[in-house]
Amino acid sequence: MSAQPRAPLDRWALSRALTQLANADPATLARRPLREPPEHAARRIGITGAPGAGKSTLVGHLAALRASRGRLGVLAVDPSSPKSGGAILGDRVRMDELAGNEQLYIRSLGSRRTGDGLADNLPEMLDLMDEFGFDEVLLETVGVGQAEHAVRGQVDTVVLVLLPDSGDTVQAMKAGIMEMADIFVVHKSDLPGAPRMAADIRRIATMARHASGGWVPPILLSSATQPASIQALSEAIDQHLAWQAQQPQEQAAQRARYRLRRLIERRIAQFVAEREDSFFDAPLERQIAVALDACRSPENRAVV
Amino acid sequence: MSTQHATAVLGGRRILIGKPGLDGHDIGAKIIALTLRNAGAEVIYTGLRRSPQQIAQVAVDEGVDAVGLSILSGSHKELVADVIAQLRTLKAHDLKVFVGGTIPVEDRAHLHELGVSAVFTADMPLEQVVKTLAELLA
Repeated sequence: MSAQPRAPLDRWALSRALTQLANADPATLARRPLREPPEHAARRIGITGAPGAGKSTLVGHLAALRASRGRLGVLAVDPSSPKSGGAILGDRVRMDELAGNEQLYIRSLGSRRTGDGLADNLPEMLDLMDEFGFDEVLLETVGVGQAEHAVRGQVDTVVLVLLPDSGDTVQAMKAGIMEMADIFVVHKSDLPGAPRMAADIRRIATMARHASGGWVPPILLSSATQPASIQALSEAIDQHLAWQAQQPQEQAAQRARYRLRRLIERRIAQFVAEREDSFFDAPLERQIAVALDACRSPENRAVV
Repeated sequence: MSTQHATAVLGGRRILIGKPGLDGHDIGAKIIALTLRNAGAEVIYTGLRRSPQQIAQVAVDEGVDAVGLSILSGSHKELVADVIAQLRTLKAHDLKVFVGGTIPVEDRAHLHELGVSAVFTADMPLEQVVKTLAELLA
């Protein structure tokens, strides 16, 4: 919560820079130097959970509450159609009362070729939010099963949103996400089954060891109709951020690794997508060598 | 661009679909949103009953190439003029604006004068909508 005066947010510049980053191809990004640790880094909060669990609604309420304390960005990812590459980005529909707040910037992102709940070039976009002086960024993932793992590496605090009575407990145990979340929220808590769901999660969460050791994830009930429940969630986020700040900081290395992994995957995927069928008729070992060579930058290539 | 597909004539484009004013029907807006998505665009939908000021701000924040306004209330002349004025205030005059809904034929010329690039009517084939927008944004 930095209180120092700074230039007002240039929404046009940010908007253009985000578009440029979203469209940048992996080869271009791979050539960018790794950034220095920033002087000013936004707190990053990830909101994840199944489709329809209430992520956008919760993000909207949290943003309204937390934008009063500083410059707040929301990056909301929705799935891109694998068929057309297009997307309907509708998360804003649930964040309607937020328009006009000078401190708040919301950007909708298509997941594009990224299948892990995040979006292409998201690490770079998060870094850009630091450069534009944001105090906090809320990152809303696509509602897919594996999003917890990817978002874990990109944010300081992971909030997992669950639906009452959805059989989510077993799903959660299967996917190993109990170890990923810092805060559990059973949303739409006015629906039957919410207290029982919370009790189940509590029992399982105490058995599953939290990945970061000492933190005991709180299990909260929330409802869009009960402002006090949103307030409680916001306070839990603050407590986790404060705890996190006391821990040894391994995020920078973790985030750099994720970025590189994604760039390599996309570089290879791009090469494969561009080949004719006949490319795949040749022997494997040779074609792998050709593929790897083609993914090098031109000056490092063995064969051109 | 890496997300481009052979059939995706609107690949890489970002388009806002907005519902200004008080009418409460958005099935038309949703059909257009889906059609544009299937043509490869990333479509940002605002939801119902947004003010012209909200729509213009969202257009800037989301970095869209075009703004589509769906209006069934009969107030299209006022609402379109308002949205375009707000876009100008935010220095977003280079964004293309298109309009759909219940727009009488005799009002179309007026909307074009206000700065609207295309007016779509309910009887227009969806392929035609996509084609017009692809040309507009080429």
